[in-house]
Amino acid sequence: MNVLTKNLRLFWQGTMLSYIALFAWLRPVTYAASKIVMPLAQMLFFVFLGTYATNSNNVDFYVIGNAVQITAVSGIFGVTMSVGGDRWAGTLPYLFGTPANRVMLFFGRAFMHVIDGTIGVVIAFIWGVTLLGLDLSHTNLPALGLTILVTTLSTCALGLLMGCLSLITSNVMFVNNTVYFLLLIFSGANVAIDKLPAWMQALSQILPLTRGIAASRALVAGQGLAEIGPMLLTELGIGFVYGTLGYFMFHWFEVVAKRRGSLETV
Amino acid sequence: MNIRNIIKYWRVTLTVAEMTVRHQLNDSFIVFAVLIQPMLIAILALFMLKEKGTDYAMFVVVGSGLTGLWSSLLFVSGNSINVERWSGTLETLVGVPTPFEVIVFGKNLASVAQSLLSMVVSYALAALFFGYSLHVDQPLMFIASVLLTVFAFVSFGLIIAPIFVMYRGVQQWQNALEFPVYILAGFLFPIALLPFWTVPISYVLPPYWAAIALHGTTTGAAPLEETFFAWGLMLVFSIVDLFIASRLFKFMLYKVRVDATLDTE
Repeated sequence: MNVLTKNLRLFWQGTMLSYIALFAWLRPVTYAASKIVMPLAQMLFFVFLGTYATNSNNVDFYVIGNAVQITAVSGIFGVTMSVGGDRWAGTLPYLFGTPANRVMLFFGRAFMHVIDGTIGVVIAFIWGVTLLGLDLSHTNLPALGLTILVTTLSTCALGLLMGCLSLITSNVMFVNNTVYFLLLIFSGANVAIDKLPAWMQALSQILPLTRGIAASRALVAGQGLAEIGPMLLTELGIGFVYGTLGYFMFHWFEVVAKRRGSLETV
Repeated sequence: MNIRNIIKYWRVTLTVAEMTVRHQLNDSFIVFAVLIQPMLIAILALFMLKEKGTDYAMFVVVGSGLTGLWSSLLFVSGNSINVERWSGTLETLVGVPTPFEVIVFGKNLASVAQSLLSMVVSYALAALFFGYSLHVDQPLMFIASVLLTVFAFVSFGLIIAPIFVMYRGVQQWQNALEFPVYILAGFLFPIALLPFWTVPISYVLPPYWAAIALHGTTTGAAPLEETFFAWGLMLVFSIVDLFIASRLFKFMLYKVRVDATLDTE
């Protein structure tokens, strides 16, 4: 029991401190610029582009796709920077010097971003309804909420894996920016998956977001939780795989860095 | 901004530009902003606009290239003074005999000029990956449009850089300013899609007139008068931007040299 309490406390403290230490977003203006205005502007850009492409015939397709994709702002950028932040701040040696439970420590880095990313998508849907005429009257809203949460979890899991890359490369901003934009192409947010070449379709099936976006579109079209359930389970499974890979990479990095004494030099 | 200084110190301008390009080629974030992001936007737009026909391919090439120009202006030129502050070289630079504005002009010239690569990359992508046969309808006018675009963007960047260094509150909005200009300047779709009240904002943005000139000369869809009008407005905005920049630089240098507060605020 004592161990469990300690681990939960470690998880919570790691979660809160990494979030607070990393982001100046706790200042409302900066948060609004990065988490509200930027996502809104990006969503509007792709919705207008999609509207232009389809002569206004399929606006909801782009609104939903881009609203859900907003979760990658927290899931990719936020989580990556939370994991990588220890290296940049020089706290990695201290972190690896502690006997702290690594599972709690590692996954704790993503927890606040799951909440933050979920809120971000909800805000994006509110923009969609108020500014872009998205109709949610036939939507099972609790199921949509669950879909958003599951999609955010799986995207954050990819972010954890990317975060581990930030421990072994100095080009982390290059990596996470590229992944973020690749998700815009491969996830089906802006281009229907069946319009992509076969190899791109195959790749999109192993990425987070793809099923989350498809499930959200199905829910807005009036389908229920039973129909989208399998998609959510697969989305969750994909997240589990990325999260596990990330954890093993984190563990591997610790072992190699300790052996070589290369914590700050890799 | 004193144009005579730029002419007088042209060797310094070019040397600064050369060093900036060399330095930035090693910066992966800049490689992303200039090459990768416009290329990914081009891929997206080419897929999205596929059903509009092959005529739109060149429109996408130019439009996605312009996104690279703007992102580079916003993140690289916009921070061209800030990076000196971050690395502790700002005090030295304002103390050397060469006017500081000449140094920043050279840095911005390099950033904007190298971001033209984004258009080349998008062109190659559309031709090789999507198999489009692309051509520029009015090549000489296109080259003139590119030169004026570079001048207009550099001039615009000379306003942004001192604002970002003096007013940190404005710089916090840097990330949020990227996509609005993509939208308002009509890089990849006409601004006729936007609400009417946004049109005046588009009209005062030099990137909008750059888009008009570049799209018009590549597709040949715009009448000559429209391209000439866009050129004229790019020149007018450049002159106005340089005038505003001169005031901003004067104020900024005062803060650095007299108040000595620029590095501490």
